[in-house]
Amino acid sequence: MEVKLQVENEILDKIKHTFHSAEVSIPRKQRVEVKLRNDLIHPFLAYLKDTLGFKHLSHISTVDWLEENEIELVYIVMNYDNLVEVIAKIRLDREKPEIPTLREFWPQIETYEREIHEMYGVNFLGHGNLTDFILEDWEGIPPMRRDFDTVKYAKETYFNRPGREDAQDVRTTITKKSGEEIPELAKVYSVRHLE
Amino acid sequence: MEVSYDKESRKIVQAIERFARKHSLWVLAYGTGCGAIEVPPTMTSRYDAERFGIRGAATPRQADVLLITGYLSVKTLKRVIRTYEQMQDPKYVIGFGSCTINGGMYWDSYNTIKLLDMYIPVDVYINGCMPRPEAVISGFIELQKVIAEGKAEGARKYKENLDWYRANQQKIIHNWNMPDYNW
Amino acid sequence: MDSSTWLKILGYIITPITAFVVGVTYGGIVRVITARVQNRFGPPITQNFWDIIKLYSKKTAVHHGLMQHWGPVFAITASVTSLFFIPVLKDSPLWLNNSFNGDIIFLLYMMVFGSLGMALGAGQTGNPNSAIGVARGLALMVGYEVPFVLALVAIMIQFKTTSIAELMAVQDGFSNWLIFQSPFAFIAAILAFLGMMHYAPFDVTFAPAEIASGPASEFGGKYLALMQTSGSIFTFAKLVLFTDIFLGGAGDLVTLIVKTFLLYMIPVLTGIVNPRYRTEQAITFFWKWPTVFGIIAILIVVL
Repeated sequence: MEVKLQVENEILDKIKHTFHSAEVSIPRKQRVEVKLRNDLIHPFLAYLKDTLGFKHLSHISTVDWLEENEIELVYIVMNYDNLVEVIAKIRLDREKPEIPTLREFWPQIETYEREIHEMYGVNFLGHGNLTDFILEDWEGIPPMRRDFDTVKYAKETYFNRPGREDAQDVRTTITKKSGEEIPELAKVYSVRHLE
Repeated sequence: MEVSYDKESRKIVQAIERFARKHSLWVLAYGTGCGAIEVPPTMTSRYDAERFGIRGAATPRQADVLLITGYLSVKTLKRVIRTYEQMQDPKYVIGFGSCTINGGMYWDSYNTIKLLDMYIPVDVYINGCMPRPEAVISGFIELQKVIAEGKAEGARKYKENLDWYRANQQKIIHNWNMPDYNW
Repeated sequence: MDSSTWLKILGYIITPITAFVVGVTYGGIVRVITARVQNRFGPPITQNFWDIIKLYSKKTAVHHGLMQHWGPVFAITASVTSLFFIPVLKDSPLWLNNSFNGDIIFLLYMMVFGSLGMALGAGQTGNPNSAIGVARGLALMVGYEVPFVLALVAIMIQFKTTSIAELMAVQDGFSNWLIFQSPFAFIAAILAFLGMMHYAPFDVTFAPAEIASGPASEFGGKYLALMQTSGSIFTFAKLVLFTDIFLGGAGDLVTLIVKTFLLYMIPVLTGIVNPRYRTEQAITFFWKWPTVFGIIAILIVVL
């Protein structure tokens, strides 16, 4: 096992040697996970791209840690030579999430950053084009944050077809019509708790 | 200028008009929903909707039928309203798939409308998620029946109840920066 | 007035009607043929009639300016006027129309007039697709007019006449048809004809998938109906012109329909199996082989 993870361990050593404060781990083969300080993401990705050859930005993902009052950005970059992916994670303050843009490294990152800005309210400094993307004229808290109540918002904003607004369970309706009984075992799965 | 006809000749003209309208439906497919993938097989060799005189139209000005293929988000609804108002009378709307009827699988989404007929008048609904090309063609035949009976009055309803429709539309489209079209 | 004047007036009435009916029916047949080639059943042959009646019955409330209303009118005027100067049948006072000495030269100008009117009308709508379509259409016209004019000039020099009726009189037997008497002119003209009919591969002007039907994109309802009517009449006019000049004309309507239909199948069948040329490719094509054939035709006649 140790021999197989040779490439990953080399990368891990190099990262640890350069960025002392980073927490680096290897969750599985071809994957290196790095937890960083906020201000280090810029030099870290520059180091990965220019020195270690991680030329491909796969994705930016976002996680809303409501309980810890933090928003986590997950940058996934890949190396074409050894097919290792590095997952760089940073945590921003949830009340005022701000981070400099990475447009000078990967121009295509603009689209991801616009979407994250719209869905989570993260402000990318120096981006220059953080305008409406998918949602037009959105007011209020960004919809992908966990304290946003989707069902309540949908019920208040849009018209609902009568008979649909209480999200009836299809199985209950069918059994009521046909006169069958739901087995005890299945009852747990057939009742949906929305509220 | 209104030209007055006597009743009998008007009836004959109307019958010819209805027959022509029924047999020549030019479709503007608004394909942002998943249902857009069902339109090409409907039009091409396997199901061949051209048998019924159904043909694609290139622009809203030339189209008779607006085919809403699936869910509409707030952003696309704005475009649909604009497209619909650019079409020339008589015009019809077909709601396509569950999403236009009651929201479908997007019933609790924060950004898709649930009831299409609150925003633009719908003449025929085709249910299913997604309706197969057979169902689409049967929906068009239903529309042809409605036209032959002279009951496809969606455009007239829209004009008469414009204030009500506008209020519904502006309830969700906050930034209303659209031109007024003189039909 | 004497009887020949009345006959002429009657001719003016029935010629456009015949052209409309035949042209629209040809359009329906083309749609069926296209469908069969694509392994479909296709619409009924009368489909184009219903389309045009429906378009005429539509309300039209679009206003972009005066030329937008006049564009389709110019187009149909040009089609009908062109038709009035083409003798439809040989030696028939009813169908001779306004044929006079020099009508070939007149037609060369008249056939362009409709396109220019449409260009002005489409230009005023302000739709970018219309502007692109108009630019492509006029560029294409510059392409196919060269071999077409060369072919007609070759024929005019060869027979020392500028009258279609005289050309028809020259071809008084199967072997005397101009297609056999001056084959190079025919090749040049028929290749230009492919471009004139706007079928693929020379359909850049209306390409619905690229520029949303081009010049017609802002025209709906009655305007589109006028344009389709004018298109049908113009198609028939062009077919009759080519039949008159190259295929010996026709003594009766049945012969005329057989000849024009066979002629029409050349661009149609070429169009079904071909993809679309880009504008510059199309112009390059027209200025290469058809022009060479046209010049050869002239050289043979002159030398």
